[in-house]
Amino acid sequence: MNRTKLTILALAALFVAGITGQALAEGDIIFTEPVMGVIFSHDVHVEENGMDCEECHDDLFEMEALTAQQNDDFTMQSLSEGNYCGACHDGDMAFDSDTRCASCHIGVIGYQKATGTAERSTHH
Amino acid sequence: MKITKSQIEASKNEGTDNISSEERRHFLKMGLAVTGVFAGGTILSAVSTVNKTYACTGDFVEHYPYKPHYSMLINISNCIDCERCKKACAETNDVPSYGFRTTILEREMQHAIGQKREFIPVLCNHCNLPQCTRVCPTKATYKNKENGIVMMDTSKCIGCLSCQMGCPYNARYFHEEKVAVDKCNFCFDTRLSKGKKKTACADACPTGARTFGDMSDPGNFVYQQVHQLEKPVWVLRESAGTKPNVFYTKA
Repeated sequence: MNRTKLTILALAALFVAGITGQALAEGDIIFTEPVMGVIFSHDVHVEENGMDCEECHDDLFEMEALTAQQNDDFTMQSLSEGNYCGACHDGDMAFDSDTRCASCHIGVIGYQKATGTAERSTHH
Repeated sequence: MKITKSQIEASKNEGTDNISSEERRHFLKMGLAVTGVFAGGTILSAVSTVNKTYACTGDFVEHYPYKPHYSMLINISNCIDCERCKKACAETNDVPSYGFRTTILEREMQHAIGQKREFIPVLCNHCNLPQCTRVCPTKATYKNKENGIVMMDTSKCIGCLSCQMGCPYNARYFHEEKVAVDKCNFCFDTRLSKGKKKTACADACPTGARTFGDMSDPGNFVYQQVHQLEKPVWVLRESAGTKPNVFYTKA
């Protein structure tokens, strides 16, 4: 009886996960400013590429998520000048921030999928 | 006098021997006239000029029928789905939340090398051979004779949605408050006719993914991008044969 219940629960959980689309993975941060939906994955940077915390924190990014997007200079122009992501994404260490836009820009669609919301944008 | 079927079957075939030469001549003339219409007037002439007159990738054109001949070039590589275009469009053109004049499609390829998704902005293609205007029973949707924009006369729309069925680009929705089908008109009433040079979507795009252009001007950026062979330019659903005026490219 217990086993049946568990199976049903497990199936229900799978179903819910299925209809809400891809969930936000642990360590994923989605910036919403200055444009909606830019993903940063700790998993890709730390686990897959073996980067240390110190390589970004606290010089390029503060430990608290999403503080960078409150700055006026959190822009593509600034990235191309070597700030924020642009410190590594310069076409030398990592792919240039001027290329492969939709690698990081998951857009409104991506934001909604990841968070399971229909929210269009967040304005400060 | 009523002639029954059995009477017809029993009657003698008159043959062709007794038809006067005048009657023969009349008959042949009629046939030639009909054939002539098809050969010279409509079918052949339409086929022979279609490649010259209507833009499409691959068969580059010699002239464009409208002045200005509005068009749009979309660079897929630059689209980041920020949807500022959608927002600007909705605010400019009174588009309700349940509908859209332009939207962004997403294509994902999990196992792609490098970038794994791309965004494809779509809107009315303002086709040179639109299906929507052909099937509209009241001419509520029509092609503007000067600039080629596919427009709506909402007062004539009866909401039959034939145009929606006919459109290969899903570019139409039913506007419940207007009680009529609504669609992109390149911001003609809201911006172009008021002297603005760009559509709201192109103006709002932060990455230059959308460029509004004029194919009747060889100096225009869109004209120049479409009329070159180094970089691929294409249209969506070319096989629909509607000769769209919205072109796509990458990088």
